[in-house]
Formats: sequence, structure tokens, C-alpha cells
Amino acid sequence: MYEYILRRLGFGLMTMLGVSIIVFVLMRVLPGDPLVAIFGMEGFTKLTAEDRAHYMAELGLSDPLVVQYLKWMGDVVTGELGRSFFRDESVADMIVRRGPLSVEIGVLSVVISWLLGLPVGIISALRPNTVADTGARIMSILFLAVPGFWLGILIVLALLFQFGYKAPLTGVPLWVDPWANLQIVIGPALVLGVGQAAYIARMARSSLLEVIREDYVRTARAKGVIERLVVNRHALPNALLPVITLSGVLMGIVLGGSIPIEQAFGVPGLGRAMITAVIERDVMVMQNLVFLYSFVFVLVNVLVDVTYAWFDPRIHYQ
Amino acid sequence: MTDMQAYSPSPPASSVPDDNTVLSRQARVWRGLRNFVRRNPLSAFWGVVATAILIMAIVAPLIAPHDPLKANFRRMSKPPDAQNYFGTDQIGRDNLSRVIYGSRSSLVVAIAAVLLGTTTGSLWGLASGYIGGRFDIFSQRVIEVLQSFPDLILAMAISMALGTGTWTVIVAIAITRIPFGGRVVRAVALSLKEIAYVEAARGIGASTLRIMALHILPQCVASYLILATTHLGVAIVIESALGFLGVGIPPPTPTWGNLLADSLNSGLIPPWWLVFFPGLAITITVLAFNLFGDGIRDTLDPRLRGTR
Repeated sequence: MYEYILRRLGFGLMTMLGVSIIVFVLMRVLPGDPLVAIFGMEGFTKLTAEDRAHYMAELGLSDPLVVQYLKWMGDVVTGELGRSFFRDESVADMIVRRGPLSVEIGVLSVVISWLLGLPVGIISALRPNTVADTGARIMSILFLAVPGFWLGILIVLALLFQFGYKAPLTGVPLWVDPWANLQIVIGPALVLGVGQAAYIARMARSSLLEVIREDYVRTARAKGVIERLVVNRHALPNALLPVITLSGVLMGIVLGGSIPIEQAFGVPGLGRAMITAVIERDVMVMQNLVFLYSFVFVLVNVLVDVTYAWFDPRIHYQ
Repeated sequence: MTDMQAYSPSPPASSVPDDNTVLSRQARVWRGLRNFVRRNPLSAFWGVVATAILIMAIVAPLIAPHDPLKANFRRMSKPPDAQNYFGTDQIGRDNLSRVIYGSRSSLVVAIAAVLLGTTTGSLWGLASGYIGGRFDIFSQRVIEVLQSFPDLILAMAISMALGTGTWTVIVAIAITRIPFGGRVVRAVALSLKEIAYVEAARGIGASTLRIMALHILPQCVASYLILATTHLGVAIVIESALGFLGVGIPPPTPTWGNLLADSLNSGLIPPWWLVFFPGLAITITVLAFNLFGDGIRDTLDPRLRGTR
């Protein structure tokens, strides 16, 4: 088991190395001079050649690409992460300040997706082709097609008309005012969670339908185990394995989808910071944030794989 | 040959004509369509909806009641009424016309991106599966790396790197589709590699390229079609998200994502009709392509029937 975990971590590390190279190359083939982005076309033409060289050196952009890359990797390891081009704030500070909100939204949305998707999927599978099953399937097909951020704007609009809700301008940390914090996070988390719940319900349904037809489940029924225990003790644990894996894959939707949803709800989280970075062409911020989001994605999937192997010993004995 | 049967749809016994008359091509197409409708009425219905949306995009200038870019300062921010069925935006442009024209850019981007990405990915997967060895190992690692980015974030980073424009958005979305084609088609190519007829082709001295193009490729078409149709919906959602975030096709071109972005910038409280209709268009279109795609998958790959 330890060997398996180490191997999986090693794989994850290699993947992150590849990710860092792709991110770095993407952020360095940007068309145009970064100084044009910072000073504007007019300001740029006023700079002397010396000024330009000075600013480029200050931003760390005048070194050879390999040196720049290695420096960045060193920064990533030490947690320094460089500075924003436009704001007087290091990227690390930005992550510490804005990150908690985004993390809360992500974690809460995963919890919601399980609480919502699992029961729906189980009911669907235990009573296939009934009204409940059909309803659940229609809902899950529908929520696969509804863009989360659109749902977000509609919810904000409805709240606005009903309660005069206003988008928060600044984030409130959980430990300062939990109630105000919850008001900010619950909307985005709900929208993100419902979207994932649709996938989870679908997967739980098909997986449980398959497991429930297996011989050992029939054996359990034949020896007189009551139906509730057959489902909870015998069928569910095996049926849940694919759902766990799916939840790892869905992390991509949580991370990517949270960006337009944060925008729709006006949540001052990391996703908003990324949008600003793209629009302002703030290379340092974008580079580090893309790397961070991918890191979380890879890490979660390593954890999912390890959990899977823990539940299903066949995996790590291979 | 057993494997081939798994990929080609075999009609149920009742609909097989008892005399073995050779049907004309046209008749076969009609019979195929009839069988599809009979077996997947729901998908067939949504297929019709998808076709209608495609036609709407193509003939947009004929059916749009107004010019989508023309401002009308006498009718600004009007809710839906008899003159403008979907209302007007803050400078009096007709929302209905903008939604209709929006379908053009949204669909062009989605279709082009899926074709480009899925084709590249599939050909890559085909080559890496059949050739194998170091090339395969390397390809697998690259695909794994590409899959470690959340789709939307990779698309955002690429469109930031390439600058704005329609092609940028197409390429950005296409690259996020490559891994899926790579994985699925590689698996098909791997399973075909050891089949007798491919071995026979190798035995009589056919070149690698010839075997891949003439013997493996035709067997991958079903997987390719399934991939392309199921990813259209995803591509539409990514395109609209990019437009919504202001990194998609630059304004004033109306796309559904741009319309949603505009709605948020039109005053303190966004008018509900500017929010509601573009999103509804996205939802219906994605729904249509998803459900139509489900039907196509069931038909082309019967092994998967009922698993979703």
C-alpha cells in the first residue's frame, strides 16, 4: 500500500512538472511586450531603452527562458510566487487573502453534490422506471445542460427582487463572521453542487443497478438479509467506488466552473483574480494561479486514487 | 470479425427483410433513419431540435426581425413586448435578433473546435495505440498533463496566450478536447492491433501507414462520431463561459456568452430578459446536442446501451 501511494505521488509530481512547462511556455509566447500591457502603448513609447531594460530586469523577464523557468520553480517550492504587475501585492498574499472563499465554495459544493446526488441516484436505481426515477433522470439531464453561471445570475436577480440582496464587495472570513460568510458562499456552492449532483446521481444509479444484479447480492437476499441491509451493507460500498472516482474527475468542473460562477455572484475569490489577470494580461498572477488550480486538481485525483486503492485492495496488489 | 459486429449496428430481427434483396443506398439510409426514430424517439425529437437550431443559425439574416448591431435610442431597455419579443438592451438593440445571431458564432466555434480537437486527438490516439512503444508512452504522458488542467482554465490560458479572435477561441477549446479523442481511439486501436485481419495485412507486407489508414481508421469512425456529438454540448458551454468572462470572441459580435456578459454591464440591476433568453438558448441547444448524442451512441455502440 505504501509503495502504491509513493508510486502515485511520483506520477503526480511528474505530471505537475509537465503542467508547469506548458503553463510557462503559454505565458511566454504572449504576443506583444509585457511593458506595453503595463504602461499602455503611449506610455511604452515614452520609455527610453534604458528604462525598458530596467523594468524588464525588475520584473525578472530579461533572463534567458531556462533561468526564468528555474527561478519560478524555485519560487513555487519556497512559496514566494512573484508579484503582480499591476497591484502592490505578491501572488502568495493574494492567494492567502482570496483563497479561503474559493476553497470554501469548492468544498461545500462537493458536500452538496454528494448529499443531493447520492440519494437521488440510489432511489432511481432501487425503483427503476417509476415516477421518481424518471423525475430524477430528467432533472439530472437538465442540470447537465444548464450553465452554472447563468443559473447564478438568475438566482442573484431573484434575490435582488425578493430581498434586495446586494453582491458583496469584500470577502468576510469564516472565523470573523460565519453568518455573513455563509451568505456569500452558499449561492455559488449550491449552483456548483447541483451541477455535479447531476453527474453523481447518474453514475450512482447505473453503478448500483449493476451491483444489485451481482450474485453475492442475490446470495445475501436468499439467506434472508433484510432489504435495507442488503443495500446499505452489501451493495452500496461496491457501488460507491466509481462514484468516488467520478468525484475526482468532477473536480475539474468545480475548479473551472467556479470562475464564471464567482463572477456571476460577485464573490471576491481567486477565480475573480484570475479573470482580472487574463484581462489585464498580468502574466505572473495568471501563471501561478493556473499552476495552483492544476495542482489542486492533480492532488485531489491522487487522493482519490489512494482512497480507491484503500477501499479496493485489488488495485494496489497488481 | 466478432469485433466488427460490436461496432456496426445490427437491426433487430423483426425489421430484417426476410428476402435478402439488396437495397439501394437511399433506401438503406431511410431504413436506418426509421429504425433510429423507432428505437430512440426522444433522441430523434431532440435531433430535430438540434437541426432546427442549426438551420436558424444558417438563415439568421432571413429570420431575425431586426439588425442585431443597430442601436435604436427610442427603444432602450424595453421589456419584451409586441415590437421586440425578447425586449431590447440598453442601447435599443433587439434582443431576439441578437440571440438568433448569437447562435451563429456560438455554433461555428463549438462545431469547429470539436471537429479540430476530436480529429487531432483521434488521429493521435490511433497512431499512439497502433505504433506503441516509446511514442505511445510519451503520448500518454502528454495527454495526462493536458488532462490535469481544468478545461475552462486551460482554454482561458490559451486564449490569453494567443490573443483575442474567433480562431483563438476555436483553438483554445479544441486543445481541451484532444485528450478525450486520444484516450478513446487509442483503446480501439490497441484492441484491433492483434486482430487476425490486421495481422494478415502486416503479413503481406502492408506499410504501417497503410494499415492505419485502411484497416484501423474505419473501425474508429463509430467512436469518433460518438465523441464528436457528446462533446458539442461541452464546447458550447465553454464558449459561452469564455464569452461571459470577456475572453471569448470580442464584442460587438453577439455570441450567447457575450450577451450574458453584456447583460451584467447594463446598469446596476441587469434586466431579466437580457439574462434569461441567451441562457435559455444555451440550455436548449446543449440539451438537444446531448440527448441527440446519447441516441447516436446507443445506435453506434450497443454495448453501452442503458449505462447512462
